[in-house]
Amino acid sequence: MNEFARNLSWPVLFGLLLLSLFMILAALAPLIAPYDPWEPGRPFLPPSGTHPFGTNDIGQDIFSELVFGARISLFVGFFASFVSVAIGTLIGLFSGYLRGAADEVLMGATDIVLIIPALPLMIILAAHTSPSIWNIVIVIGALWWTSTARVVRSRVLQLREMPFVEAARGLGAGDCYIVFKHILPNTLQVIMAKFILAVAGAMLTEASLSFLGLGDSMQKSWGMMLSYAFSRGGFINGYWWWYLPPGICISLAVLGFVLIGFGLEELNQDETAVNPL
Amino acid sequence: MTDRTGYLACQSLRYAISLFIIVTLVFLIPRMMPGDPFISLLGEEVYYRSPELVEGLKAQYGLDRPIAEQYLSYLNNLAKGNLGYSFHYSQPVWEVIAYKMKWTFVLLIPSVILGAIFGIVMGAAAGWWRGSGRDTGITSLFLFIYSLPHYWLAMLSVLIFAFCLELFPLSGITGGGLAGLAKLRDVLWHMALPVSVLTLFGAAYNFFIMRSSVVQISGEGFVLTARAKGLRERDVLFKHVLRNAMLPLVTVIALDFGFMVSGALLVEIVFSWGGMGTLIYDAVFARDYPLLHGSFLVIAACVLAANFLADLLYAVLDPRIRGGVQA
Repeated sequence: MNEFARNLSWPVLFGLLLLSLFMILAALAPLIAPYDPWEPGRPFLPPSGTHPFGTNDIGQDIFSELVFGARISLFVGFFASFVSVAIGTLIGLFSGYLRGAADEVLMGATDIVLIIPALPLMIILAAHTSPSIWNIVIVIGALWWTSTARVVRSRVLQLREMPFVEAARGLGAGDCYIVFKHILPNTLQVIMAKFILAVAGAMLTEASLSFLGLGDSMQKSWGMMLSYAFSRGGFINGYWWWYLPPGICISLAVLGFVLIGFGLEELNQDETAVNPL
Repeated sequence: MTDRTGYLACQSLRYAISLFIIVTLVFLIPRMMPGDPFISLLGEEVYYRSPELVEGLKAQYGLDRPIAEQYLSYLNNLAKGNLGYSFHYSQPVWEVIAYKMKWTFVLLIPSVILGAIFGIVMGAAAGWWRGSGRDTGITSLFLFIYSLPHYWLAMLSVLIFAFCLELFPLSGITGGGLAGLAKLRDVLWHMALPVSVLTLFGAAYNFFIMRSSVVQISGEGFVLTARAKGLRERDVLFKHVLRNAMLPLVTVIALDFGFMVSGALLVEIVFSWGGMGTLIYDAVFARDYPLLHGSFLVIAACVLAANFLADLLYAVLDPRIRGGVQA
């Protein structure tokens, strides 16, 4: 941890600041939001003292929508990223550790998934399933794992030749035991960086899918707010207070994750020492 | 020479498998989803509006036959270029797509090229002067662009440059009623904003790859040698570093093509640009599944083709593959 603290550069610090800001917003949403985000009122009010960011087409307070939207957007980001990193890690671990035919098949599959245009495939999958945030989480998670798999695999290829792994093998440890007890803990740093970057990617993808009308209308994410602002005339009529704030929130939250993720990746590149557990 | 043939055979096999998987996915997805697969195959509109028509179509489409037989006839149709029928447009899917695809390429091709040039130049500069104020400035700017949702930057550019400053049109491809050069100029004027937005995203994507590539190569021994023998900095950069950093970019730009297609779809919607993006947007609202499936197949085929071309080009350019000398 000390090592980490010393290497904290200002971009990472700024990322952490942004991230904690949105986390607080999400955690304390009912305390911060002045109104119930679903409560209708006077439509199309521009920003004023009573409604800091104005109201939308059915008079819901946009600031309150934003605050509660942080919950949904972060939730989708974290869960989708978790699913994708879990899949990627498993594939990377086994393909790097087993090598040979298993590696060929798994990495071949990774190359193929990498080349299929993700957004159009997600559109089809989401259009066939009922719109719900869980389906969005699964769809994003199922297609976002390729880069994690590659990075984890190359790390495992290094690790499997290390003396401590050989020692464990010499002591008669089984493959599964070695993979999960010795190799996995040493890949965590790499996985962490990928996880953070995948949250950013998942949040952007959720925003895109919502914008295309494939989001969950029962859960107001920032992407859904943008989608409504666009499809219900906020954009055409120039009600900027309706579509600027959610876009700024998405961008800043994604920027926060990207800054932290890139910072971690740079740290990983500098550090080659392995910590045998 | 044998190495090159082997490499190409290997790549071709990979693309053939990818194509086969994509085609099979499109066959399986509607049949695996919960609910009546006929909705998924014919689109919601026709399913709910005319049940008697659906009965007739089931027989005509052979949807009552065993799945293996359906799969064969599906492949057979695809081979003949038949992507199905859009009931929403009352036209064969292929005809609808062929028209719209053209306009997407009009946006996409300049953006991919400009984005690559812009990203490569900026990435090389930032990587070469790593750690300087210039590097920090450019890198922060591209990090920020990287974090914006494509369509939101498009909305922002419309707000600023079309709505407030009135420099560019709000939407569409052309004002209409024009011909010849005047029409061309009008289309270019309408293209300016969407192409700029897409170029920025393409540049951000290429920037990070080029930057890290230059940083990595700058640390190699031969760069030190070049400096040690007294070459000017400019020669070191252009003759030694960039020459080595450019090669992998051929593949990167092709992969980037897939990423740019997704971006173009979203940006098109904001500008009401009548290409694949608005087509898919409308198809999602109408739940016109045949059109969605066809669009995916065509887009995926284009992305595969772009990547395959890049691999061919790579085989020609890279002396290690070309000459059969293993590095």
